[in-house]
Amino acid sequence: MTGIDNSKLLHDLRSKCSSLKSAAELYKDCSPAEKKEMLALMNSAAAEIAKLLGQLERTA
Amino acid sequence: MEKLNIFVLEDDRLAQKVMGAHLAPHNVDMAADLDSALKKLDAGRYDIGFFDLMLGVNDDYSGLKAIAAAAKKGIYSVVVSSSDSDEMIDRAYALGASDFYAKGNEEANVGEILRKFLQNRRAAASDDIFTSAFITEDAETRAAATEALKYAPTDLPILILGPSGTGKTSLAKILHEHSGREGAFVSINCSAYTDDLLEAELFGHKKGAFTGAAEARKGRLLEAHRGTLFLDEIGTMSHNMQMKLLKAIEERTFYPLGSEKPERSEFRIISATLEDPQALIAQGKMRFDLFQRIHGYTINIKPLARRRADIFPLVHHFTKGGRRLSFSPDAKAFMQDYAWPGNIRELKKFTDLVSGGQQGRVDLETARRHLKGQCAAPGSAEDALYAAALAGGLDAALEKVSADIISRNLRENGGVRTKTLADLKISTRLLYATLKKLGLDTEGGKK
Repeated sequence: MTGIDNSKLLHDLRSKCSSLKSAAELYKDCSPAEKKEMLALMNSAAAEIAKLLGQLERTA
Repeated sequence: MEKLNIFVLEDDRLAQKVMGAHLAPHNVDMAADLDSALKKLDAGRYDIGFFDLMLGVNDDYSGLKAIAAAAKKGIYSVVVSSSDSDEMIDRAYALGASDFYAKGNEEANVGEILRKFLQNRRAAASDDIFTSAFITEDAETRAAATEALKYAPTDLPILILGPSGTGKTSLAKILHEHSGREGAFVSINCSAYTDDLLEAELFGHKKGAFTGAAEARKGRLLEAHRGTLFLDEIGTMSHNMQMKLLKAIEERTFYPLGSEKPERSEFRIISATLEDPQALIAQGKMRFDLFQRIHGYTINIKPLARRRADIFPLVHHFTKGGRRLSFSPDAKAFMQDYAWPGNIRELKKFTDLVSGGQQGRVDLETARRHLKGQCAAPGSAEDALYAAALAGGLDAALEKVSADIISRNLRENGGVRTKTLADLKISTRLLYATLKKLGLDTEGGKK
């Protein structure tokens, strides 16, 4: 991971976590169809967070 | 419920979904990258814009460019970003952002921003501006602004005089909002451009009009069609530019650079300067005929030091919807005595600094620390200067005053020397000589 800007990694991580948190707060008020779409997006965000954590681990 | 036109620049799909849900009752237009954002901002009419700064993994904060475009069109621009370093916050505000929020609390923040926006709009519409958009309890300032508002719906040009940071731009916006003009409020700071750039900004240009003009661009005069053109720091404009502007004001037509086809724009002029226009005319720096064209009604805004009753109402306003502050009696007295050379802009910065501190209760030590101890009992600064002159001679004392002012301005400008040259209207020679004396004459300094 040499050459990767750690601050950008952390920024992305913060950003994805924030979106996930805000989405979780919204989830309960969504319609069933929206819940399905929201869950898919939340899953995708969670996968990206896991990927970012992996990258961060390698820079540690 | 009043329906707003809202623009959102956000590259993350989940964040887009979240923003969309919070803004659901309104008309929302989304963009995920800078190019589509600029196109939409150019073509659409929005009340509020929400902007993410970093668009994509290796993006270089391109959202900042969209803020500048939105602010230019008078859109209330709010940054919602995880890139919330001091540098980024400063840059966003300098480009015209109205608010900055860190990502992660959209449920509370978005509602608060909309509430604040609608409240400000209603207040402006109901003439209750002095407790919302243009905070002042000073009777003289209220009377002057009220008088100026009477001319808002007319075509009369308005000239706003006052030191830097006193709220001239805010007043110009209010005057536009009360004008009933259907066009946009378009603002330009004349001191921020060289002659050539100012000409291109004001009049626009055709594709290929000069090196670097890869695309045709609309000028501010055209953007202000049926709206208001606010010319800030008009006193810094060169004679050549003054002449070109005068012609455009008189004829309401102008030629974009490289074009042979004239454009027509019916704009109303509001201008501002921190200098005395009569003195500028006497010094040959301002054309008398241009002055005649821009000073239909003139309003003077007093510095904050002469409107001390406004200090705490302004702090109250700045902290609305956020952390509220309380000041110890000695901190209050200190703030009342302080000279506030940066006026309301400095008070806002001070409020932001103390709001971000550990304690909501601000004591004297905290106030002193953030105001750099420059407050003094009346006369004491003069006494110190007098003592220094007696000790080291008048020249040395004056040199120290000059160095202190330059050093402070550089600090407040984040070390940007060109800004200090413009702010203080000093020669490059004096700036560099002072930097050398202060030991700051390094190659690494910001230009």
